[in-house]
Amino acid sequence: MSEALEDRIRDARGELAPLLEEARLARLARSEVPAF
Amino acid sequence: MAVVNGMRGVSRVPAYVVMQPTTLCNLDCVYCYLPLRAQDRRMPVEVARAVAADANVWAARDRFSVVWHGGEPLAAGREHLGALMAPFGPAVEQHVQTNATLLDDAWCEFFAARGVRVSVSVDGPEDLNGQRVSRAGRPAYARIAKGIAALRRHGQPFAALCVVGDPRPGVAARLYEYFLTLGCDTLGVNIEEREGVNERPNSHDPEAVRAFWAELVAAWRADPRIHVRELEWSLRYVGAVLDGTSGDLLPRELDPIPTVGYDGAVVLLSPELAGFHDPVHGDFSSGNVLQAPLSELLTEPRRTSWVPEFLSGVEACRDTCPYFGFCGGGHAANRYFEHGRFDGTETEHCRNSKIHLLEGVLDHVRSS
Repeated sequence: MSEALEDRIRDARGELAPLLEEARLARLARSEVPAF
Repeated sequence: MAVVNGMRGVSRVPAYVVMQPTTLCNLDCVYCYLPLRAQDRRMPVEVARAVAADANVWAARDRFSVVWHGGEPLAAGREHLGALMAPFGPAVEQHVQTNATLLDDAWCEFFAARGVRVSVSVDGPEDLNGQRVSRAGRPAYARIAKGIAALRRHGQPFAALCVVGDPRPGVAARLYEYFLTLGCDTLGVNIEEREGVNERPNSHDPEAVRAFWAELVAAWRADPRIHVRELEWSLRYVGAVLDGTSGDLLPRELDPIPTVGYDGAVVLLSPELAGFHDPVHGDFSSGNVLQAPLSELLTEPRRTSWVPEFLSGVEACRDTCPYFGFCGGGHAANRYFEHGRFDGTETEHCRNSKIHLLEGVLDHVRSS
């Protein structure tokens, strides 16, 4: 069922990569805060 | 295509338990789902002791939390809430979800002394916060802001929970800017749900909802200091698809999420069901901690009449919905209050908070 959705995500890999890297760096920065 | 391995059956051990120290809330928010919020029915300490007997064991094995929820937990008063917290050992992490209106220096000292993690319910700046009102129908915003100021004065970290009644472009950027200024470290964004005693329709223009979520991504990228629950999990799913691990992203089993009501009655999986009655399923409860240990009540969740129907609904989602690997299946309360049964599949809540969310994230990257 999810094949078309996952294909669309994979097709956007280039556009998603910077966003995922920003999210990784944001998690790292948050972890360094004195951190239904 | 990834085979989604998670969400098969219900775990016997929860990650947390939701506790209702009182049914009372001093506010009367327009969208609230709670049926007994005008009454002060308080949890006796015996109920807390019964839950703590298992919670202390679970916390010795893995991280485990107790969440004091509502009603408004602070309406129970410091003395009573302290007595309810006392049976839980230091390994149990304690959280409180509060409307913030009763917060003051004494409450901040109470939380600091016990290491309680605080989360506040606030829907954004004053003009977007009009659904949160007192019993007399007056806006609660000034009291909410005063309570949050006490948290900040004491250096108490806090999370925020925001309900959005009208998700559309223009709203998300304002909300994110507000929460940056507020100083919360974590944010959950709930599109208003039709559940419990809140029967207001929750159907929205799909394009508007997608644009709301896309705008939230853009606002977050400009200053990603806040851990935004919805964006975090969207990006975790997208990342898992790209690295070929999306089938293993979800938990192996559903967390039972036991909610222990003021009287010790236990409702599984959806706290929003507590306090309601159905002609077939009765009060939805799986027993009472004053009659049997919580761990015993969790051993056979399928004995509770509505749970097998709900698990059939989860499998129907797995079989029919392309978003299942992201979502994990519609929540029990949303199915029940929208469809009148537990084995229906897609709900308005699914569309607003899962499907349009993921599509909004993809819209954002395609347009940026």
